[in-house]
Amino acid sequence: MTALLVADGVRVFARERIVEPASLSLHPGRPFTILGETGSGKSLLAQAIMGTLPKGLRAEGSVTIAGQRLSLAVGQGHRSLWGRVISVLPQEPWLALDPTMRAREQVAEGYGFVRGLSVADAARRAQVDLANLGLADASGKLPSQLSGGMAQRVAFAAARAGGARIVIADEPTKGLDVARRDDVIALLLREVAEGGGLLTITHDLALARRMGGDLAVMLDGVIIEQGPAEEVLGDPQHAYTRRLIEADPAHWPDGQPRKAAGAPMLVAEGVGKSRGGQRLFSGLNLAVHPGEIIGVTGPSGCGKSTFGDILLRLLPPDEGNVRRAGGQPAIKFQKLYQDPPSAFPHRITLRRAILDLVKLHGLDAARIEPLMARLRLAPALLDRLPAEVSGGELQRFALLRVLLLDPVFLFADEPTSRLDLITQQEMIELLVELARERTCAVLIVSHDAELIRKVSDREIRFTGKKDLDQVEPKAA
Amino acid sequence: MMTATMSSAITASEPKRLPVGRIVGFTVLALVVLFAFLTPLVWPVDPTKQSLRNVLAAPSWSEPLGYDHLGRSMLARLAAALRLSLGLAFLSVLTAAVPGALLGILAAWKGGIVDRALSVLGDVFLALPGLLLVLMLTAIAPDSPWALYVGISLVLWIEYFRLTRATTRTLITSPAVQASRLLGFGPAYIIRRHLWPEIAPMILTVAAFGAATAIMAIAALGFVSVGVRPPTPELGLMMTELLPYYEEAPHALLQPIIAVFLLVLSLNLIAGRKAQ
Repeated sequence: MTALLVADGVRVFARERIVEPASLSLHPGRPFTILGETGSGKSLLAQAIMGTLPKGLRAEGSVTIAGQRLSLAVGQGHRSLWGRVISVLPQEPWLALDPTMRAREQVAEGYGFVRGLSVADAARRAQVDLANLGLADASGKLPSQLSGGMAQRVAFAAARAGGARIVIADEPTKGLDVARRDDVIALLLREVAEGGGLLTITHDLALARRMGGDLAVMLDGVIIEQGPAEEVLGDPQHAYTRRLIEADPAHWPDGQPRKAAGAPMLVAEGVGKSRGGQRLFSGLNLAVHPGEIIGVTGPSGCGKSTFGDILLRLLPPDEGNVRRAGGQPAIKFQKLYQDPPSAFPHRITLRRAILDLVKLHGLDAARIEPLMARLRLAPALLDRLPAEVSGGELQRFALLRVLLLDPVFLFADEPTSRLDLITQQEMIELLVELARERTCAVLIVSHDAELIRKVSDREIRFTGKKDLDQVEPKAA
Repeated sequence: MMTATMSSAITASEPKRLPVGRIVGFTVLALVVLFAFLTPLVWPVDPTKQSLRNVLAAPSWSEPLGYDHLGRSMLARLAAALRLSLGLAFLSVLTAAVPGALLGILAAWKGGIVDRALSVLGDVFLALPGLLLVLMLTAIAPDSPWALYVGISLVLWIEYFRLTRATTRTLITSPAVQASRLLGFGPAYIIRRHLWPEIAPMILTVAAFGAATAIMAIAALGFVSVGVRPPTPELGLMMTELLPYYEEAPHALLQPIIAVFLLVLSLNLIAGRKAQ
């Protein structure tokens, strides 16, 4: 079997070497996946292969694409291959589409400008492509009129229109919920089944498992393990790969659900909410007891976060009411946000932000240090701006910030969806441990049903069909 | 995500490029200000005192910038005119920026009817050509610098209002502000820690442009003899007065022109090409 693409000793340099020599070959009909965390160098490796490294970085080594050998140190020759031989499915494709162009025109551009077809021919071919992807009706629509999944398929058709047989998919499932993730995987696998070449870059273990084919695991710029996906994932040789697989919520040890005790301190009765004329949910009842962990799952856009915000009184319900029993002050009800950097003031240091809080509520500043040690946060991080620490660290700072107020209720809105697997496990473990210790009730929202199953005492499942299942306590 | 973190790490580790333009701008402005305010201390000459013996005399050691057509000291007059322009520009920028920014925050924060009312008010002022508004006010109250000042401020505040309102609107709905509110912080804290650090750099830029606009407006009005009246020294007025003598005394006419040029140049350099 001749390889579509062979990378030989590809290295990337900034000032020092940041990607160690990496070699891989991509065969028709066999997906190749690079798995790694944020900062592992997987995207840089792919960009070096594509010839699209950002300014300030340079590559060495060589790449053979469709029988043509390119030296990366020279850095020329890629351009003629882009679109015709090799193409990229961008991250979050709905942002990559031109918002002012209709779907068919976006795809036809590839046929017109890359393949040089006439306008009529290009439009006809684009229409056929869209019809093949089940988008025949959407060809006249603007990206804003498409759903996320449809936009992804349009971007895919556009990426393929130049005739490229090799597709590089950069984090194709980023920001997608489970149902749409499955659609994307099916789409990519279909391409492979037709004999195309597919190089996927991802941090998503489930995606890597589903793609099959060959797998390379990257850590700190080094490919630490490489081979057929079943072998690598079934019998990992490297300690890091084993750690990564263990960090998958499916492999977490089962939690010990507790039975709710004590009088409820937060009660929602018959709560309903609509958004943009659409009913999200109605007649929702929930009693939160001290110290219990309630998991919330459901597809995106079904109102999970909205429900949490209503419980926190950040949003008023359209119907029903929310009561706080037991006379707890408002600051005992807190929230953890999905995107940690957006939850801190951008231009002041973390020390300043935390000391402001201590001063405002007359807290004991001596509590900060032990709590930081508990959250495994180095004191030096205090003098940085929120943008200068990692997402996992910042989320732990967010936890520190709310724990200083001794909350009785914490709404954790997808607190780990932007974090890597291992960081996610650490974060969730700390959250559960500290909440149990301090009898703080937690309402945790996640799109990952497995994660919710492992950590929560009971679950609420939003089905997205205007009603919801309330799953009763797992343990009697 | 990888690329973003890598490239930001790279740019952060490089030494920050000095904004040369800004440094030059601040230096030129400082020199002009020093000239305007130190001259009366070291050279206490009355800018309105005439001596017809010296009419249009060239610069000399005893009179470094020469005399104008009425034999008045150009040095004293130029310094006095600069003090007037700088003072008026500073005052009008201040009185435009403070209420403009505060109203902008108020409109974005309260939303609804308050926002709509303030926005309509801004649109009304914007619908009037700025210079016309100033002309009207100076016509109502001739020969009074305050009319100039009020007129210019009334034109300038809208820019601060709109800028602050737009920035505040996005910030106020951000998770960061929501988190601060949940943590018990009040509006004063949100303005100080969330809004002000984002708005301040933009305000500096707009203020520098605004000051340049004000100086140009004052000079333009002086030039068409609408602003302050003789014998008060004013840059635009000095240009008009000295224009007939450009052949005999080009040095005299050039002085107010160079002064306006330096002021506007330095303020534009400070403002930079665009806000952060």
